[in-house]
Amino acid sequence: MMMFAIPIRISLARHLGTLLATAALIGFVCFGFAATASAQPGDRGTLIVFADEQGAASTNAASLLPAPVLQRDDYPNIGVSSRSIVWVIAQMHLFFGALVLAVPIFVLVIEIIGFRTGDDRYDDMAHEFMKVSLTAYAITALFGGTLALALFLLYPQLMSYLTRAFGSQVLVYAGLFFLESMLLYIYYYGWNALRYGNRKWVHLTLGLLLNAVGTTLLVVANSWTTFMMAPSGVDPETGAIVGNIWEVMKGPLWNPLNLHRLIANVAFGGAVVGAYAAFKFLSATTPEEKAHYDWMGYSSNFIAILAFLPLPFAGYWLTAEIYAYSQQMGILAMGGILAWLFVIQAVLICTILLAANYYLWSGMARSEGSERYRWAIKYIATVLILGFLVWVTPHNVIYTAAEAVKLGGGNHPVLGPLGIMPAKNIAVFLMLICTFLSFQLYRRADKVIAVSWQNWGNALMASIYIVAILNIIFAGVYYGYFTNTVYKVGSSVIQVMSTLVVIVAGVLIDSLMFRGARTLHVSWGRVADRSQYALFALPITFTWLMALMGYVRSSVRTHWHVYTVVRDNSADNFIPTLQTVGNMVTLVTLLFLAFLLFIFWIANLSGTRQLPITVDADAAGARVGT
Amino acid sequence: MSETTQPKKAGQIITWLVAILVALAAFYLMNHAVMSMQGLPLNWNLTPAQ
Repeated sequence: MMMFAIPIRISLARHLGTLLATAALIGFVCFGFAATASAQPGDRGTLIVFADEQGAASTNAASLLPAPVLQRDDYPNIGVSSRSIVWVIAQMHLFFGALVLAVPIFVLVIEIIGFRTGDDRYDDMAHEFMKVSLTAYAITALFGGTLALALFLLYPQLMSYLTRAFGSQVLVYAGLFFLESMLLYIYYYGWNALRYGNRKWVHLTLGLLLNAVGTTLLVVANSWTTFMMAPSGVDPETGAIVGNIWEVMKGPLWNPLNLHRLIANVAFGGAVVGAYAAFKFLSATTPEEKAHYDWMGYSSNFIAILAFLPLPFAGYWLTAEIYAYSQQMGILAMGGILAWLFVIQAVLICTILLAANYYLWSGMARSEGSERYRWAIKYIATVLILGFLVWVTPHNVIYTAAEAVKLGGGNHPVLGPLGIMPAKNIAVFLMLICTFLSFQLYRRADKVIAVSWQNWGNALMASIYIVAILNIIFAGVYYGYFTNTVYKVGSSVIQVMSTLVVIVAGVLIDSLMFRGARTLHVSWGRVADRSQYALFALPITFTWLMALMGYVRSSVRTHWHVYTVVRDNSADNFIPTLQTVGNMVTLVTLLFLAFLLFIFWIANLSGTRQLPITVDADAAGARVGT
Repeated sequence: MSETTQPKKAGQIITWLVAILVALAAFYLMNHAVMSMQGLPLNWNLTPAQ
């Protein structure tokens, strides 16, 4: 017993050490906030009190300070681009933050499934997922603290203004962070101590609390981001904070971003733990290990893609709200220089879809029953590739005069129509439907359906697919190319709903049809090694995608720190070239992957035990005798 | 072709026809509902009413 207790204590002590370091960083951050809150923004920090009918000028004076009007010398010059430094650190913090907030969400779901089914495999898998998250947690905190320090150092006046806007909410955030840390460690280390019976309920409650606190942390931090994009609770003329903390938080983009990040985080977290499972699968030496990590990889891919499927809808909502808030902002994102990044986004999303589908098709080899559905793979692959080609087609390219003459205009006569949104919407939604079809076929592969109404069920399911696909094409072509813009935009909701109907109907019909179905044997571990590389492709692509689109979201503020309120007058107050963006995005992606390898190594190391050093008795005896 | 397979085939065709019609009706109504909710009504033949 003591043999096991000692390593656990050492491990716990190591994590508690990190916890204390994190606490110190948080304390420093709070101190920084307090210090900058009392700082005046140079000679432009003159107190302005507006006509105050209530006569409460003295009490409201601090909250009526105008937004700072910054000059170049208000920014410390450390010889390196401040934006680049903050860019890298903030992105790393976001990557790790996304991972550690998302993993407990699906871990709790897996734990509940294990509890309900009484299958210990689910519990073991959930525990192992948490191991990856726990190691990442300390790194998240370190990057968070470093980010705060970098911001206070490099953008002191902006941070002073933001501190006034959010005030004591920052302390609430710090308190939540402490609570999150405590709950996380109790949840992980208490796993085996609270595994069965009533104690399991205690553990599940801890998991629920952990997720509640984690999600609150997410939405609080999101309010800082959305305040900078679409400030609320401020005087539009002076930028003075006139609203209370709730009015400052609930800007027009807050909830769309909350939803988008929450879903994206789960997809990202699923992809990362999937890579961990692939790493373990490829290094496994026994069939049992291979079977376990194959199942773990499949579950991770399932989580990642299940969360990924509704993500475009959340993204659509966020973009629509950005357009509604500021058309200029929306057009810059999707019609200006940043639009090129959406072409790269298309490539990345298609890579995710192709990798996820390929993994599922490879995984069909685990079950003999998959023979019934293999014929469909080539058709699904054809739609995915055609969709990819349409999505990646740009509307126009910069031509030389000779090329434009040869082409007969700015747009290609045949491919030109494929460059605009109606064609891309059709491609995206058909690709999503095909990905869901792959999932459905995979789930059906090991089942022999027994319900008497299976012909009706199959006919209805197939009809829903056919009509939904026709409806998506009809809405895209007819409203997209032959009606006015309002109907064109409105018709995309038809496409969204058609896709959702397929997904919801598929889940419902299958769950009813699987009642009493005979389950065929599934040989976990019987999958080609190359399929595991699809699991590596997912987190790499997700990471790149998050870095790229995170940049777009941030960059639409152009030369404003806080849009239309605090103007950016630093040396970096311009939209960088696409080449710079590409380099930075690639740099942070590679950096994150390097850290991820470190985390996998650490997680693997914790399960490694050195054998006792034994002395060869004969050799020892011989040495004594001589 | 035996006498039993013919009614079976006819039954299958009816099943498929009914399923297709149900799906068509559901999506047709959904299109009207979704566009009306956005203040973009449609005519019976799905052309814009405005």
